[in-house]
Amino acid sequence: MASATLYSVSYDLSHLLLGGIASVFPDPLRAWISNGNVITGLAVLIFAALLLAASMLNTILLIWWERKLLGRFMDRRGAMHVGYAGLLQNFADGFKLFRKTTVQPREADALGFFTGPTAYMVTSMILFGVLPISSGWNSGALPLSLLLALAIFSFAPLFIFVSAWSSNNKYSLMGGMRSAAQMIAYEVPLLLAVVAVVIVAGSFDLTTIVYEQQNYWFWGPLFVALVVFVAGMLAEMERIPFDLPEAEAELVEGWNTEYGGMLFAFFMLADYLRSLIGSILVVLLFLGGWTMPSWVPSAATSFPLAGIFWFMLKTYLVFAVFVWIRAALPRVRTDQLLRVGWNRMIPLSLLAVFLAAALVTVKCVPVFGCLPSPGI
Amino acid sequence: MSDVTATEKPDENPILWVARPMATAARQFAKSLFRPSTIVYPYERLEDPKFRDRLDVASGKPFGVGQVWDNYRGVHALNIATCISCNLCAFSCPDVCIDMVTTAGSDPKHPKKCPQIDYGKCSYCGFCSDACPEGCLTMTTRYELSVSKRSDMIYPPERLFEVFRSKLPMNPIRLARPENEDAILLDPPLCIGCNACARDCPTQCITMLDVPKPEAKPGEKLPKRIWKEPVVNDSDCVRCGTCISVCPKECLFWGTRK
Ligand code: SF4
Ligand code: SF4
Ligand code: SF4
Repeated sequence: MASATLYSVSYDLSHLLLGGIASVFPDPLRAWISNGNVITGLAVLIFAALLLAASMLNTILLIWWERKLLGRFMDRRGAMHVGYAGLLQNFADGFKLFRKTTVQPREADALGFFTGPTAYMVTSMILFGVLPISSGWNSGALPLSLLLALAIFSFAPLFIFVSAWSSNNKYSLMGGMRSAAQMIAYEVPLLLAVVAVVIVAGSFDLTTIVYEQQNYWFWGPLFVALVVFVAGMLAEMERIPFDLPEAEAELVEGWNTEYGGMLFAFFMLADYLRSLIGSILVVLLFLGGWTMPSWVPSAATSFPLAGIFWFMLKTYLVFAVFVWIRAALPRVRTDQLLRVGWNRMIPLSLLAVFLAAALVTVKCVPVFGCLPSPGI
Repeated sequence: MSDVTATEKPDENPILWVARPMATAARQFAKSLFRPSTIVYPYERLEDPKFRDRLDVASGKPFGVGQVWDNYRGVHALNIATCISCNLCAFSCPDVCIDMVTTAGSDPKHPKKCPQIDYGKCSYCGFCSDACPEGCLTMTTRYELSVSKRSDMIYPPERLFEVFRSKLPMNPIRLARPENEDAILLDPPLCIGCNACARDCPTQCITMLDVPKPEAKPGEKLPKRIWKEPVVNDSDCVRCGTCISVCPKECLFWGTRK
């Protein structure tokens, strides 16, 4: 199982499928079907379909997870009728939304109105494809995958702004403006926190970063960076307490006020997909990805798909912390967000970078032992 | 910080602004992890014995079995036998959801009218119960009303009577209201003694008493009438106003008896 990767599985599947199909057809067709290029082409499609299925399944599970957790935080139960413990409730909600008419405001700009949500969704999905989930579930060695992921991640305010502008509604526009404005507050400290990780790991490749954490996870030595990164991620994912662009209490529904039906479902799914990706990034950068510490018995880490299991477990726990924050904290104002971003988070992130540099220079971590292979 | 606004407390550690609510949320989470307050309604209900520890908000005592709040205002119960068809409930309903309809099996010559309630409109205010002089329209603790047809929301008197017979805990609404001091007064010169008020009074508290026929003075023409006048027994009168509305000469009116 360890050798099976996402690529090899989809390639084998494609081979098997096309081989079966080819055997029914007469020769010239058979030769064409079992041609290597066709098999590779189908393999890529299967690969994409697997990614799509995994991202959607996890997104919907994540919504369920949030609803259940939030329920407990509020002394209630959350969804519980459709499916076991309400597991299928979100599928039902999704089908309902997909069946609904999409109402386009008369004065809306159709191009932006429809491409905005679609692009928002698509970029989030690309993002999911870039991230490695385990040694097998890996889109290949991208030497700069961390940079690529963060670059795609910060596309979102653009599409939010496009769809907000095109809906021709003042509340949408205000939400879109806020989304673009709050980017100034969190993007710099977020990237500086990532720089701290990159200094210690010595690579921009997420897979390498994970393997650098085999001896100890980065959350301990880089705790300051973790705090800044989580705060920045909350703003990046536009979750409470930094969900100013959506602020239902002030802006109706923020930038997606005018959206209904399928397009709203797109926004909703993409929002949670981005929350999933935010949690995944925290796990990748600070919590050792799919690796487990050596004191964990090997039986717990060697069963089939163990990497994915532990990774997803960590991801859902990280997301539980995000839900906890949502349940506890009120929404901040724009000026507070900017002040926290510039007055607190940037100095903290600079401190984190400095600490990381010091760690690499000293080559020793007080509590966690010495670095096995210091970067740079 | 120089630009501290009034809502922020500068003397407190800002870390606490995050830590304290987080701790509160965590405590709540731990408390409701296994048993949130929610009563999973169609499967469980407040009357179930396992919720006996829940307090009745009104009395502060635990609920008994088969009992929600004593003062719950649910479906009405109507005792058809004691209803006097006074129409007061229908008058007092702010949602105009009460119709006085003929009850099944009543004498077609003298139809007995009783209230029929449309629960699609009812706001459960309890005014009708309060207005009912005979105490025959009360509210019960029944709260399950879902139906699959809109017409099933309309409860004819017979159905309200069934609720009455089901012996649910009744909640005779008595809002604190001053006693009605008004009485039915008569403007004697206008009365023609037609008996309409006495005939329609639901409490039969009007008696037609003889009045002496005056001597006609020369040249004067006595009015053509029956020489009787209504006398109202104030202690039996429920102040429904039926007599006023049936009087053909508009000689009855509300007033304070001297
Ligand atoms: S108020 Fe009472 S007595 Fe009068 S008609 Fe209504 S139910 Fe009957
Ligand atoms: S409870 Fe109020 S609204 Fe309902 S029937 Fe009685 S008077 Fe009308
Ligand atoms: S108001 Fe008139 S009709 Fe009604 S109970 Fe009194 S006397 Fe009878």
